[in-house]
Amino acid sequence: MAAIRFDGVTKIYGDGTLAVDALDLAIEEGEFMVFVGPSGCGKTTALRMVAGLEQISGGTILIGERPVNHVSPKDRDIAMVFQNYALYPHMTVAQNLAFGLKLKKISKAEIARRVRDAAAVLDLEQHLQRKPKALSGGQRQRVALGRAIVREPAAFLMDEPLSNLDAALRVQTRGEILKLQKRLATTTIYVTHDQVEAMTMGDRIAVMCEGRLLQLGTPEQLYTRPANTFVATFIGSPAMNVIPAPVLKLGSDSSLVGFRPEHIRVGSAENGSVGFEAGVEVVEYLGDEQLAHLRLGELSLVAKLPVAERVEPGTTAAFAVAREALLFFAADTGFLADHPA
Amino acid sequence: MIAFPLRRRQRRHDGGAMGLVLEDEWSRRSVRWGLGSAHRLLLLLLVVVGLGPILWLAKSAITPTIDTLTTPMAIFPHGLAWGNLSTAWSNVDVSLYLRNTIVIAIGSWAFQIVVATTGAYALSVLQPRFGNLIMAALLTTLFVPAVVLLIPLYVEIVNPPLIHHSFVNNYLAIWLPEAASAFNVVLMKRFFDNLPREIFEAARIDGCGPFRLFFSIVLPMSRPILGVVSIFAVLASFKDYLWPLLVLGDPNLQPLSVRLPQIAQFTPLGVFLAALALTCVVPIVGFLIFQRGFLRGTGLSGALKG
Repeated sequence: MAAIRFDGVTKIYGDGTLAVDALDLAIEEGEFMVFVGPSGCGKTTALRMVAGLEQISGGTILIGERPVNHVSPKDRDIAMVFQNYALYPHMTVAQNLAFGLKLKKISKAEIARRVRDAAAVLDLEQHLQRKPKALSGGQRQRVALGRAIVREPAAFLMDEPLSNLDAALRVQTRGEILKLQKRLATTTIYVTHDQVEAMTMGDRIAVMCEGRLLQLGTPEQLYTRPANTFVATFIGSPAMNVIPAPVLKLGSDSSLVGFRPEHIRVGSAENGSVGFEAGVEVVEYLGDEQLAHLRLGELSLVAKLPVAERVEPGTTAAFAVAREALLFFAADTGFLADHPA
Repeated sequence: MIAFPLRRRQRRHDGGAMGLVLEDEWSRRSVRWGLGSAHRLLLLLLVVVGLGPILWLAKSAITPTIDTLTTPMAIFPHGLAWGNLSTAWSNVDVSLYLRNTIVIAIGSWAFQIVVATTGAYALSVLQPRFGNLIMAALLTTLFVPAVVLLIPLYVEIVNPPLIHHSFVNNYLAIWLPEAASAFNVVLMKRFFDNLPREIFEAARIDGCGPFRLFFSIVLPMSRPILGVVSIFAVLASFKDYLWPLLVLGDPNLQPLSVRLPQIAQFTPLGVFLAALALTCVVPIVGFLIFQRGFLRGTGLSGALKG
């Protein structure tokens, strides 16, 4: 395993599109780093630059202590798992796993051992002689993972590897990848646009937008102290409510106030909380909790409430939010402000 | 006996339609009778048109010449003349011309495959700086009629640039011009363009250089198009008449396509028809042997999601 560092890494495509803008980021040895952001934010481009599949327009990428800007993909000691599996269709599962090792001229006995071990870990032993077309989507994704594992690389690069799996399989495979990563302790960069995946998997998360790194932190830091309104609304489901502060009779015209849906409770404001009255538009019953879609003047809010607190659609009710749960952002820049609540 | 009802029941489950005809319409006797008859008639016509001449040739090859001349369409001949086949094979030298034909076809196929795959690979995967310009030039040559190029090509074969050694009466005179087929390169490039780039990238990370990528990944994934180009190459070579006639003056080197019209002038009809039948056997057997392997291919099944 090896640390990976981006030093002012920039990618500009031939047509002038700025995909990654002076990215500075250090990934520690054995860390599980998640790049998350909306489509076109530059997260996949950043990953592909580490893999050597994209030329770097500016800056330096280091794997370990070695700058790799001009090192070919095969010599970077990395393994990549692609969104669409990218298995070799004319080879069996065993041949797919062994292909990279053969090219590295590793002995047959060692190849056999690694293939056997990877197949055992990924529960692929009974499929080794099958071709990819005879496998299910989940099995194919496991073969793609196996192809990365057998190489015993310094780093895993994963480009939305779960996005083509159905919901149940995604949750299951997510757990398998996590267990595998913890066991192998291999530095991993994982790209996803799914913030749930990012929150559940990453040791740290890098939130990107329009080629820039907006915030880097642990899932808890991103959730509780988002650096700006983009991160605040991107991380967490349902998204954080961000409204002008004066609506709650707080702060100045130039500030926004944000609070998580689960911080709203039904009832009037007491000491240490702010209150508001809102119309209940829709209530989504989720079994253990309910999502109430509220209308506060022109603004829409979402409240995550215990099922015991009955709210009826079409009625108006009083709600309150604890002051310590409020976050203030500058209205012009969107940045978090240390505002006295 | 039970296959037909089962298939009909299956179709009903699939949406209640027999192709474009709805189940309700199919249940009407007039529709069922009319369409059923049309199907059978069409099938019969196809068999007569497609298989008829071949069967007639096969029959005539072992029919005495006199029978073929007097009752050419008779289904059962008056006696069999198996000797026609052996005479054609040895006395008329069909064996020699067939060997020449096969050598020319294999050589043409090999040269065409090498040029088409490497050219298309360079243009599609390696993408050199002026690839688009080269592609445009290739496409332009497709619009030049082949017959216009006969004389310039002949001049080049008689006195090739740099080499200055005539290729006349040498199979290279056929193989080299056929290898320079823009059509094959364009066809192959279109196929390579549709191969998923992620697989190439995975291979590069696995350690493939350009040559290994070509031989271990691109070619094995391209079996269907290799089959198509191979069939085109072999059939074109088998049927070509004018160019081999021009560049292969030595009868001992000429293929069947060139020799058959000349054989016809001094050979009894029965023997000549036997020679024709033997000529047809090669492409038919070749097709039967290779069609499954080529046309089935491995394709891209399972390589990607979807």
